[in-house]
Amino acid sequence: MIKNYFKIAFRNLWNNKLFSLIKISSLAIGLSVSFVIGLMVYYDFTFDKFHPDKEHIYRVTTEFVTPEGSFYNPGVSVPLADALKQNSASLAAVAPFLTTYPLHIKNTATNKTFKSPDYVIYADKGFFNVFKYKWLAGSKENALESPNQLVLSEKRAKKYFPNTAFTDIIGAHMVYNDTINMQVTGVVANFTERTDIVFEEFISLKTAHQSDMTSAVLSSNWNGTNSASQLFIKIAKNSSAKNVQLTLNKLAKEHKDPNEEEFGNERKFYMQPLQEMHFDTNYYTFDFDSEPASKSVLVSLGCIALFLLLLGSINFINLNTAQATQRAKEIGVRKTLGGSKKQLIYQFLGETFLLTICAAIVSIALSFWLLNIFANYIPTGLSSELFAEPTVIVFIILLLLVVTVLSGFYPAVVLSHFKPIAVLKNQIVASNDKTSLRKYLTVFQFIIAQIFIIATLLVGKQISFLLQKDMGFKTKAIASVRAPWYTMTPEKQQRLLTKIEAIPEVNKVSLAEYPPASFSTSATNTSYFDENNAPVHTELQLLYGDKNYLDIYGIELLAGRKQNNDSITEYVINQTYMRMLGFKKPEDALGKIIKADGEQNPIVGVMKDFNQRSLKTAIKPLAFVGTGGANRKFKTFHISFANVNGENLKHATDKLKNAWNTVYTNEPFELIFMDDTIKRFYSQERKTAVLLNWATGLAIVISCLGLLGLVVYTTERRTKEIGIRKVLGASLLELNVLLSKEFLGLVLIAFIIAAPIAYFGIDYWLQDFANKTKLSWWVFAISGVIMLIVAMLIMGVRTYISSTQNPVKSLRTE
Amino acid sequence: MLLELNHIYKWVQSGGQKIFLLKDINLKVEEGEFISIMGPSGSGKSTLLNIIGMLDVFNEGEYNFLEDSVHNLKEKHRSNLYKQYIGFVFQAYHLLDELTVYENLEMPLLYKKYSSSERKALVADMLDKFNIVGKQNLFPSQLSGGQQQLVGIARALISNPKLILADEPTGNLNSKQGEEIMEIFKELNKEGVTIIQVTHSEKNAAYASRTINLLDGRQV
Repeated sequence: MIKNYFKIAFRNLWNNKLFSLIKISSLAIGLSVSFVIGLMVYYDFTFDKFHPDKEHIYRVTTEFVTPEGSFYNPGVSVPLADALKQNSASLAAVAPFLTTYPLHIKNTATNKTFKSPDYVIYADKGFFNVFKYKWLAGSKENALESPNQLVLSEKRAKKYFPNTAFTDIIGAHMVYNDTINMQVTGVVANFTERTDIVFEEFISLKTAHQSDMTSAVLSSNWNGTNSASQLFIKIAKNSSAKNVQLTLNKLAKEHKDPNEEEFGNERKFYMQPLQEMHFDTNYYTFDFDSEPASKSVLVSLGCIALFLLLLGSINFINLNTAQATQRAKEIGVRKTLGGSKKQLIYQFLGETFLLTICAAIVSIALSFWLLNIFANYIPTGLSSELFAEPTVIVFIILLLLVVTVLSGFYPAVVLSHFKPIAVLKNQIVASNDKTSLRKYLTVFQFIIAQIFIIATLLVGKQISFLLQKDMGFKTKAIASVRAPWYTMTPEKQQRLLTKIEAIPEVNKVSLAEYPPASFSTSATNTSYFDENNAPVHTELQLLYGDKNYLDIYGIELLAGRKQNNDSITEYVINQTYMRMLGFKKPEDALGKIIKADGEQNPIVGVMKDFNQRSLKTAIKPLAFVGTGGANRKFKTFHISFANVNGENLKHATDKLKNAWNTVYTNEPFELIFMDDTIKRFYSQERKTAVLLNWATGLAIVISCLGLLGLVVYTTERRTKEIGIRKVLGASLLELNVLLSKEFLGLVLIAFIIAAPIAYFGIDYWLQDFANKTKLSWWVFAISGVIMLIVAMLIMGVRTYISSTQNPVKSLRTE
Repeated sequence: MLLELNHIYKWVQSGGQKIFLLKDINLKVEEGEFISIMGPSGSGKSTLLNIIGMLDVFNEGEYNFLEDSVHNLKEKHRSNLYKQYIGFVFQAYHLLDELTVYENLEMPLLYKKYSSSERKALVADMLDKFNIVGKQNLFPSQLSGGQQQLVGIARALISNPKLILADEPTGNLNSKQGEEIMEIFKELNKEGVTIIQVTHSEKNAAYASRTINLLDGRQV
């Protein structure tokens, strides 16, 4: 029986090649996108699932609640770990650790130096009590108990001691940063499963006192919170997380900072479950190379996959029910020969399943290709090898079954309900309600395609708006390069400065900290006291730079002057801060005193507002403080070029690089252009745009394939009508209009429904931006026209073919 | 007695009026009979045949098939009944285009859950009986009309029904092919198969042992 089903299914597919192709390709598109996105979701949701007691492990972090909102720090104050250890009844393990970034590490035996090892932490034995590692050499029992002990991961051990047995590494000496002598006491296997616990080198915590982390440990108190100082805890099996949280709350209360309380700030310790670490964007993970996972991104990707899959299934349903009349005879015959309704439903579902499997095979090949194309969007650890994981295979099979039922069940029921007598007597079966369902589904497809088109256009518009909008300062032909802090001496700096100034293409050079707009900010709490009004307490961002800084970035002074010298702190404030202080005219603010950190700082100038961050955020109060009174050592060279473009810009940067290399022989030269930084502000948005482009393209392709199928079907069914009309003298154009009218109506209805949905969706998306592009009506008009043109092209080709056919032929075949 | 129709009425509602398709049909069919139903177009021949074949329902009257009262049966039992005892032959043959001759013959057996070896034997018998062994791997479109109808009859016979219902079996055939088909029916009837056929042609009707004439839904 099954063999018979497959035989007839296969012959049916073969005889209707066009329809089969449409069905398979639209399903394959939906499936391959679902596979890739499914893999991404699966990948991100299976982090750290393998630890024993995983549900008892937490990272303790700090949340600062202030009147301006909450701030999050993944670190905790250093004394917290000891305070918790005294409370050990409810805790199975406490693991304080410090993240650190050594410059280099040397193997003293081979005298080989390895630069910037990453994923290095100071930790104690507690860490190995929280996380269970497999020890390849050495043991947990006395690991990291005394100073200068080092535990390496298997990977690092192989890198530092190639071709050496792990047991032979024990006792070997390593030196960090030329000063810290370490002895290897253990080698642990790397976790083989997906994890955010990515550390490779573990230095005993007691070593921290004599290293670059000295200050972090020694000057530590309850009031300081350094994000490098973090804490994992494992809760005892018979204890509850609630009790531990209560202890933490108590500790936070006992050790609160009276100064912070004055400003209305409060510190809270938060227990972040290990299971949530991967998605918690408040407190990062430890792997900075890969983008943090975002649940909302995964959800929107999931929606895209779902929509594309739905569109594919709709093609299936539409084409299958449209083909129903062709299959009607077979159904009638089968029924009179003894086939039951159930058997027929199984038969049609089987056919759908066969098609789905074809589509799945195509789409697995496609997903390898997609994984390549979207390499930038996909976490680095995700590879096509995931396809071999049993969970994924089961998921794929389930998905195929769901798709089969989703797209096959309705047509199967419709078909199997045909009355044999009606079919065999050629009383045609396509009653009205079935065609109208097809229309609803087609409209639905076009709504989705239309929404995607509008969204793509508007997101693109917003991004170009952001990139083109004036930031308030010069962004073209300006670059900055940061000198390495560890080899920076004033002499070297001065030498480089002179060399850069000597390059003809360079207009001006300034030594400063960050550019006017950057990912980094420094800020301080300030107060302004006015005789008449209430005092203004606010956070003020500070910008440091020498006397050339404002000139290079073309930031205009509205009143007053720049700093005169390096010895006193004077503020040049922006208009936003000026208005916040209550001044209408820039001149009025001059000479007023701002209190910050117990110092009195006079306002000597007012500059024009500019954006300190991406245009997503509003302009914040800011002061340019010059060198900030003290004789600060700036590390960043800001360079503006004169008359450069394309070819000679390359030339100029080469000269800069040469100058750099004569001063810093070993350090990499990393020139960052201002306009690139601005582009980077919107990397998330640009990614959204690229994904949307793809989603739109695919949605259009699928919908159009479905439309093509329906048009082919209708024109075939109306061949006789076309023939008669032609004989009676209808022109080509009239025939085309006649045939297209029905479908154009559907596209139009879809547009009317899609436009408001897209409007509100994009409006919601734009709420994250302080600067918004207009939702212009013409964008909607254009996207409607695009859809219309695409639909007309498809219909036009097909209807043209059938309307040019010789009427005699079509009438004869009827 | 194979089947019995008592006072069968069938009508459709059209604009508040009943239009009768069949009026007071009474018919008794014994096993081994060969019956022709004749009448002009629209006289209700095919409707009557479909009712006998249980593909269509009637509004009033009684229909007994063997031991069962068809008018009291649920749809599902009714279809089980006709699947077991009745074979259909159609004017337009209604072979499945996607299947070969062999597969077309095999299909009813699949639905009746015959084992693979039984199916092979039965199909081989049938191919042999109708002299179409050489055509078993051809598709219907590769056969002439007469040959197609031959396959159609073979298919109707293969599950060994008690009754063959044929709706104008020769309607699409030329006279020579038609004669051959009628000869086959005659042979089958001799072997004991009960046959009811609908036909326009007096010549074909003459092959039957009894003729029922219909006019506007009535027996005349």
